[in-house]
Amino acid sequence: MTSNPTTPPRPGRRSFLIGAGSGAAVTALAATAANAAIHSSPSATPASATAPAVPFHGATQAGVYRPADQQRQACFASFRVLATTKAELKTLLQVLTAQGVKLSTGVRAADPVPAESLPAIAGGPPQNSGVLGEDVPPDSFTMTVGLAASVFDNPAFGLAGKKPKGLTEMTVFPNDTPDPAWTGGDLLLQLCADSTDMVHYALREITKATRGLLALSWKINGFHSAPRPAGTPRNLFGYKDGIANPAQDEQLVWITQGSGQPDWAVGGTFIVVRLIRMLVEFWDRVGLGEQDGMIGRHRVSGAPLGAVKETDVPDYANDPDGQNIPLDAHIRMANPRTKATDASRLLRRGYNYDLGVDLNGNMQAGLIFASFQRDIKAQFEATQLRLVNEPMTDYIEPFGGGYFIGLPGVTAANGFLGEGLFA
Amino acid sequence: MPDSLPAPAPTMDGVVAAYRNYVSGQLDTLTGQALSLKASIGNNSLEVARRQWLDAQMTWQRVGAAYGSFGDLGSAINGLPSGLPKGSADPGFTGLHRLEYGLFHGQGPAELAAVASKLYADVVELHGKLPTMELAGSDMPLRCHEILEDSLRDNLSGNNDQGSGMALALTSADLDGTRVVLALMRTLVDTLSPGYTAKVTATLDRLGNALARTQDQGTWPAWRTLPLAARQPVTGALGAALESLAYVPALFSTDD
Repeated sequence: MTSNPTTPPRPGRRSFLIGAGSGAAVTALAATAANAAIHSSPSATPASATAPAVPFHGATQAGVYRPADQQRQACFASFRVLATTKAELKTLLQVLTAQGVKLSTGVRAADPVPAESLPAIAGGPPQNSGVLGEDVPPDSFTMTVGLAASVFDNPAFGLAGKKPKGLTEMTVFPNDTPDPAWTGGDLLLQLCADSTDMVHYALREITKATRGLLALSWKINGFHSAPRPAGTPRNLFGYKDGIANPAQDEQLVWITQGSGQPDWAVGGTFIVVRLIRMLVEFWDRVGLGEQDGMIGRHRVSGAPLGAVKETDVPDYANDPDGQNIPLDAHIRMANPRTKATDASRLLRRGYNYDLGVDLNGNMQAGLIFASFQRDIKAQFEATQLRLVNEPMTDYIEPFGGGYFIGLPGVTAANGFLGEGLFA
Repeated sequence: MPDSLPAPAPTMDGVVAAYRNYVSGQLDTLTGQALSLKASIGNNSLEVARRQWLDAQMTWQRVGAAYGSFGDLGSAINGLPSGLPKGSADPGFTGLHRLEYGLFHGQGPAELAAVASKLYADVVELHGKLPTMELAGSDMPLRCHEILEDSLRDNLSGNNDQGSGMALALTSADLDGTRVVLALMRTLVDTLSPGYTAKVTATLDRLGNALARTQDQGTWPAWRTLPLAARQPVTGALGAALESLAYVPALFSTDD
């Protein structure tokens, strides 16, 4: 209630046409806003020639290998699905698809709005928040959608038979301290773009369009730093992070026919998100030699210890005792570069985060670890288990995240994310 | 809970008249509740007074007094400590929430008897002034969505809570008030946008169901004690209702 004695009553916000019978100010169309959102055109041209648009449509979702250069900003948002029937879940995925298309393409204010995209009632709240001005640029925006095991376990959706193999709740590893406020959720959105306001705008549009179907449970924004001075961007320990990522044609990421997964999941990928706090004050009190040894790379260049360039491949075969790169260095334990471990590699696409202040005045900052793989157990978990007691463990605190099945891409103009779940 | 929804009025003047009549009835109820509350506090029957406070507060919510509609008297009846120099200890903090604060912070007749007397007097005064009070027709479409916007902003945020934790009960009463205002405007709304009342009502029904499911044998749990997973169906349904209610003022707006 607006009832504070010190607050005068608010003046009227608008002028009003009082009385019935006049339809002059009203254009009543058949479509509701939600229905309109489903039917936005996938073939619209980008709003600006200078801001690149990443195609939403494709056999696989964007935000994994597409675009090739990881965007600078991201939001990882986890939702509870409030849909209570399979039909509502389908509607939710259709609305999300339409939002993904629209946000990826951008909107020029001068362009005519298709009749079916108009709200049912004219003169209501503006079409969008205006955060990006009148023209909404594509800004390399990508939306990547994942579903958690809980969606397949929910009897209301009848999807138990379509549950991907190996999709579980996130495993708690020996040094994890999961906080329920930052863990799990039914549906993950990874929203990436090249500017912070675009990421904010996108989440705001999407939550508005899905009100009542999705409830935001946690979200964290991250940034992918500029190269300093060149090459792979650095994480908040000051080290170049994400140097050795498998290429798409190494086929370690996408679920394919014969993967042993349900047919609907072909073109999908498993998404692991781990929120890893980095104790940066502690780290900054450690000598450079010890830091380099824990990581296994030279901080200055990103090169493996004893090598020159960040792209140099560490030669463990000729360093069996860890004279150059310690046997417990992070890069060596994570990827021993042996035939036996080759298939456990995964695509990392992490973002740094900087949240606030902890109980004792230390900075709350770290890494939003995001990896993509075709098999969580054989890739992410195998890697993580090798890392369990690495020396770097003392400087990090994994506190949240989740496991999700990233849906296959959408190829048909009238298709939608997760369509195969309803076939 | 109102026994039944009022009949729709054919014109906005008619809506205002019917709304005034409805408020008058609610203030009748509130007058009696304030008198009982005053008596219980005077008798130091504080357990009874806590229940009576909730009944009275819910009656006030059902009035749908969003937007500071009743001016200084409205503030005297339903004011909050925020913005007052001494906060909850400020003498300017009066009315229902002041009683809530005292009743849920170990206060008794010594601190609250005068507050209860003033509340009763203020309600009687408001009731007396109601017939001549200016109620703008242009406020009615705004009221239709503002009542539940206030639920989200003030009640479910915890901002209004003076210790009872009864945000769900208050939201449920806000929903009642919204249904009444919408019912009064049904003819006008549906003339401007055929079928829109039914669309809004469907979202209100869903909110009502979500609220009801939080109740345990007819009693409301304290909002903050519910885990996020139990709050989400309520706030999700409320959010969906607000998105559809947001277009009611637009129907009557002359600018776009």
